[in-house]
Amino acid sequence: MGLSRREFLKTTAALTAAALAGIDLPLKGEDLAQAAEVDGWFRGTCRFCGVGCRVELGVKNGRPVAIRGVPQSRTNMGYLCMKGMLFYQLMRHPDRLKRPLYRARKTDQFREISWEEALDIAAEKFAQALKTYGPASVAYYGSGQALTEETYLFQKVMRAGLRTNNVEGNPRLCMASAVGGYITSFGADEPIGSYADIEQAFCFFIIGSNMAEAHPVLFRRVMRRKLDNPDKVFVINADPRVSPTSRIADIHLQFEPGTDLALLNAMAYVILEEKLYNEDFIKNYCAFRLGKQKKRVSFEEYKKFIAVYTPERAADICKGNITPEIIRLVARKFATSPATMSFWTMGINQRIRGVWANNLIHNLHLLTGQLCRPGADSFSLTGQPNACGGVREGGGLCHILPGHRPVKVDKLRHQVEDLWGVPRGRIPAKPGYHTMAMFSAVNQGKIKAIWINCTSPAQSLPNADKYRKGLAREDVFVVVTDIFPTKTTELANLVLPTAFHFEKTGVYGCTERRSQLTVKAVDPPGEAKPEVWIVREWALKLADKLKDPVVKKCVEPFLGLEEGYALPKAIWDEYTQKLTAGRDNDLRGAPYEVLKKLPDGVQWPAPTKEWALRGGTYKKFVRGLDPLADIHAVDERPYQFYGPAHKDRKLWIWLRPHKGPAEEPDAEYPFYLSTGRVIDHWHTSSMTGRIKELMRANPYAYVEINPKDAKRLGIGPGDMVLVETRRGRNILPAKVYEGPMEKMVFVYWHDMAEERMINRVTKDAFDPGSKEPEFKICACKIRRLSGPKPLKPYIVRL
Amino acid sequence: MPIGGFVIHVWPAKKPQVLKELAREERLSVYAHDDKGHVVVVIETETSEEMAHLVRSLSLIEGIFTINLAYLYGEDEVEKIESGAYKPQTVFGKAFR
Repeated sequence: MGLSRREFLKTTAALTAAALAGIDLPLKGEDLAQAAEVDGWFRGTCRFCGVGCRVELGVKNGRPVAIRGVPQSRTNMGYLCMKGMLFYQLMRHPDRLKRPLYRARKTDQFREISWEEALDIAAEKFAQALKTYGPASVAYYGSGQALTEETYLFQKVMRAGLRTNNVEGNPRLCMASAVGGYITSFGADEPIGSYADIEQAFCFFIIGSNMAEAHPVLFRRVMRRKLDNPDKVFVINADPRVSPTSRIADIHLQFEPGTDLALLNAMAYVILEEKLYNEDFIKNYCAFRLGKQKKRVSFEEYKKFIAVYTPERAADICKGNITPEIIRLVARKFATSPATMSFWTMGINQRIRGVWANNLIHNLHLLTGQLCRPGADSFSLTGQPNACGGVREGGGLCHILPGHRPVKVDKLRHQVEDLWGVPRGRIPAKPGYHTMAMFSAVNQGKIKAIWINCTSPAQSLPNADKYRKGLAREDVFVVVTDIFPTKTTELANLVLPTAFHFEKTGVYGCTERRSQLTVKAVDPPGEAKPEVWIVREWALKLADKLKDPVVKKCVEPFLGLEEGYALPKAIWDEYTQKLTAGRDNDLRGAPYEVLKKLPDGVQWPAPTKEWALRGGTYKKFVRGLDPLADIHAVDERPYQFYGPAHKDRKLWIWLRPHKGPAEEPDAEYPFYLSTGRVIDHWHTSSMTGRIKELMRANPYAYVEINPKDAKRLGIGPGDMVLVETRRGRNILPAKVYEGPMEKMVFVYWHDMAEERMINRVTKDAFDPGSKEPEFKICACKIRRLSGPKPLKPYIVRL
Repeated sequence: MPIGGFVIHVWPAKKPQVLKELAREERLSVYAHDDKGHVVVVIETETSEEMAHLVRSLSLIEGIFTINLAYLYGEDEVEKIESGAYKPQTVFGKAFR
């Protein structure tokens, strides 16, 4: 007998889940053939974090109605997390932006206008600014959520068309320090290894990352490895806050915020003192470097430098539960494990010395040779789905052209101009404004027209009030392309509705150098359009207004192409076949035809289709595994470090001293304030905040306070608490919780409500190398204001 | 009424207690479990809001380290959203005019 429709769906759900776990269910498979729950399943990548989970969207009658994981997936083995769970709701959400909106003055009401008028206004305003104030007066601020094709085309038009390198993106706020770390330590950006190392690692060193909440699907792989090998695998978590990640680690190192550099140097001290280093690896592949001049120094000089970072001294600096013994224990575990894999994210990157912190993690791997072998890697986790693929690789930052080419290198800049067929000298030789400089320039009225795509700097910048003033200026024309209203659309003149994921086609490149194609499955709502169409049409109007054929030249190869597939395909082809050719992120082997054949995409380098069809490169720099390691080999050694930034072909072990945060607690502001994410929300919650389920789970931000501090200050659970820094005040309900250590409070940053928007009070100091702000640490004071009060969740709406 | 297929990952030693806890929840059916600590469940609720709440509360059960979604079907809900019968509630103020 056949099943009822509901029973059929339940059976399907159970069988899908059981397949992921490798369990055979005694259910009748033939019953499943009786009814089609969807008309078709469309393959793609989840877009809610940087892991790159493969997901399938079920479509029925042109509507998204289901999602499922696929057991064969190399990234997530089919498992999904709560964030991915309900995104079909976003696609059909009534708050979606559906038509272009315009207002001449920011105090006016928006009115709906046609695309023709909208693009004409955008072109007129940018052309006007360019003609009156020059190329430095226009800017693009993009996103690690934009598809590679989008970022690539935007930056091409800005650089070659409008002659400005004012091209930035929100990855500056989250992973620029990781970029700096990889380039200065390994000579090349992005991790050497892959997620596949997880199943071969024996020690995990997770620092500055609440992986269990921020990257839960990847964390499942770590824990699976641990559970399958409980006596052989050791998990170390280092974080000032007790989180779900630390609760299931073998050891949790709890140190004061901003003391990480001392801890990492002390681990290196133990490795040297106890001779746990790998002499052959150091001798064959490493060099020691010091200071801005990158002066080469000897191993002996490094030992002398490290000698002051005794575990005893580090324990004094780090405080918390850090003892000399615990430092020695974790250093030994790290060094002597058959394979050690490190993970980190914003806790390390969002520091005034984030690049140094990255360097010091890499140092531990270099000293011990925990690199290039199965299971051994120094692996930075990424927050957004395409910060790596689109922004780092596609030219989305002010100092980097596509294919990891620094703007300031004449030869490489001219190479790009030649490949684009534009006159040499068209791209300025000087990098543009980095993010914080860009919004400072907005404040100063130096930037007159800015295009903000798929991100909300009005909420995500540190010390946000300061920069919102600039965006509110009437002499600064602000265009925003997005799917929902945000804190930034509040400050816009022109709001352009865009297609969402699965409503357009394009590639995301996730944390492990993996490029995956998502093909359009459903139509966007109303008049929403893919960004690639918007940029192309805007550029054509710009060319007319500026009477500049070079602007048109930027989009000429894409004229007349259908926007849902042919247009992004042509852009991807140009980018991969021309711009990545011969670069370390060579993706020539991965055109759409190949990506469509490979459900999990391709890991670069993938210079040929033959190599790409094998999945690409699991481990960089290893001969036999990385085709470029063979091409660039200069000797018979198994590892060939051809990274473009290190001419000596060495990995660099840096001498980096301890450096505390930009703002430490004092008598007036005695607490550390740190910020982060909760599992249910992502970034500014403009998307997740609209999913009722996720908002109900965590409707508003709260301030986490250690029970001892709460007791001392008379603060009870739910009490309203004033959190005050030198920049401003927030009022938040208290969560009294054994999470943050004493004298530290923690606030999630997703809440849009003015009184709870924590980036209004965070500090905008930034790393001098990576220019990434120190979101994670500033000084604050807290005070109980009242007992619990009813609060309402808040989100920007039209 | 959405239907979700999940794999609950449990510390193997604590699986018996976790299964007891799960048995108390009538909106959830346990289909299978193994020695590695995988528990295959199907959750059926009136709304996906209710499902999300339930998953969050399950994640607090001692012995569970993660709950992953494998399959979600929500055609009814999509229909309700499109017809206006169900509007994902954002009880939020209007911030810009």
